[in-house]
Amino acid sequence: MKRYALFLGCLIPQRIPSVELAARRVFERLNIEAVDLEGYTCCPDPIVARLMDRKMWLAYSARNLSLAEQHGLDLMTLCNGCFETLFEANEIMKREPQTKREINELLAQAGKKYEGRVNVKHVVEVLHEEVGVGQIKKLVERPMKLKLAVHPGCHLFREVEGGDIWRKPRELDELVLATGAKVVHCKLDRLCCGFPMMQANEELALKQNLSLKLACYRHLAVDGIVVPCPTCGIQFETGQVLLRKYGARYDIPCLHVVELLALALGVPADELALDLHRSPVPLLVQKVLTDV
Amino acid sequence: MFQEAELLEYLKIEIGVGLISSSVPREGKICVTVKPTVLRTTAEALLKRGSRFVTITAIDGGLDLELIYHFDLSGTLITLKTIVEKEVPKVDTIADLTPAAEWAEKEVAELFGISFRAHPRPGHFLLPDEWPAGKHPLAKPFKSELPEQLCQVAESLITSGATAPISPLIKRKREEIGLPAQPPASYASEPWLREVHELVQRTDFSKKVGYDWKKRKLRGK
Repeated sequence: MKRYALFLGCLIPQRIPSVELAARRVFERLNIEAVDLEGYTCCPDPIVARLMDRKMWLAYSARNLSLAEQHGLDLMTLCNGCFETLFEANEIMKREPQTKREINELLAQAGKKYEGRVNVKHVVEVLHEEVGVGQIKKLVERPMKLKLAVHPGCHLFREVEGGDIWRKPRELDELVLATGAKVVHCKLDRLCCGFPMMQANEELALKQNLSLKLACYRHLAVDGIVVPCPTCGIQFETGQVLLRKYGARYDIPCLHVVELLALALGVPADELALDLHRSPVPLLVQKVLTDV
Repeated sequence: MFQEAELLEYLKIEIGVGLISSSVPREGKICVTVKPTVLRTTAEALLKRGSRFVTITAIDGGLDLELIYHFDLSGTLITLKTIVEKEVPKVDTIADLTPAAEWAEKEVAELFGISFRAHPRPGHFLLPDEWPAGKHPLAKPFKSELPEQLCQVAESLITSGATAPISPLIKRKREEIGLPAQPPASYASEPWLREVHELVQRTDFSKKVGYDWKKRKLRGK
């Protein structure tokens, strides 16, 4: 059994706990032990928090990494933002000895230290590389006969210097395909969902980013959108609600890749709390169940 | 540098625990930062030593007002700084110790809205007679330098260690769907949260954004 320290982050437990539920069920089925990180903080987010104060940002993230290191485990995230922060902080702690010393001095007073022994992984790469698409295909009990758009999000492209930035997005596609779904692409796949821009200009974020993508997906007649990130998921869901005040209505279901996998692996839909979603995910589930 | 070092030692003894920091950045210059409560004592000590009051500079940082008193002692410039929180913008006068400070204090009071306790002749100084009371032309609004949209995030990161605290409704929902009411995050346990609070204090982030530890919120929000 593979063991990973599970970094839940803030948004999943608070805003879409159905993703946490699905992830735990998927890990059970795929024989991955997810060890909870007790006392973890926000990653903190890779844009706003880092710009507010780099030292605070790094101290929080190094503390999170030290929690995984105490278990002797690599760390797995379910969120692109958490991945970006923890990956980036990990690189800084490994590459900048002076910064590492300074941050460890801050951590030392709480009896913590980060040596730099943890690898940070997104759930997409854990599932793809540790379990494998072939194994997942074998375990699929309920093929997802759906036409799905896959939004990789921005931070999934984060790689080590010189690495293949398309590796994880490609793995995400392959995981979705493994469920039996058809993946459709559009020219706007790499366009940001607009979430970070919401802080500065909500209308612009909704109209110039989200609405353009949604219009593209509607044109492609997708059954739903799959994301590997709760932040993108929230933007797709609440964004569709907010867009109504500008006269745009889409009603496209959006779910996290682990929720799709849970459905495909045969976890009963009524055990996944998918009605917590703000987009019509239950309609998508109905379509799946009807097709079966 | 002998005179500067000697004067600094003298001041350290006179100021005692109210001293925050001190330095001699170059020959002929001494910088001392003190708590507002010992500002008057420090000025008194400098004057007793033969220093001459020069002037006061004030800087409004949004949440706090920085007062910089300049003294001269035989060609050595002494910069005495103190930070006054704008919630209670008051500091003791030194005008009774050195008459030259009387106008400087009145100018700062009128332009920045700080009051100097026990000033011998408070009141109108250089603004036009018809200038509205309570309007201080160089005073900035009482708010953090953080953009308004980020204040909530900063406050929550310090208070709970998360971007948003978990609501009672979500706790109920989590339990209904078979999850623990709270994830094992920092806000779920007092010892974890205390550790995070101590860490964030050591980074100086809470000070930078003006976090009030008693009220558990950002000042000026």
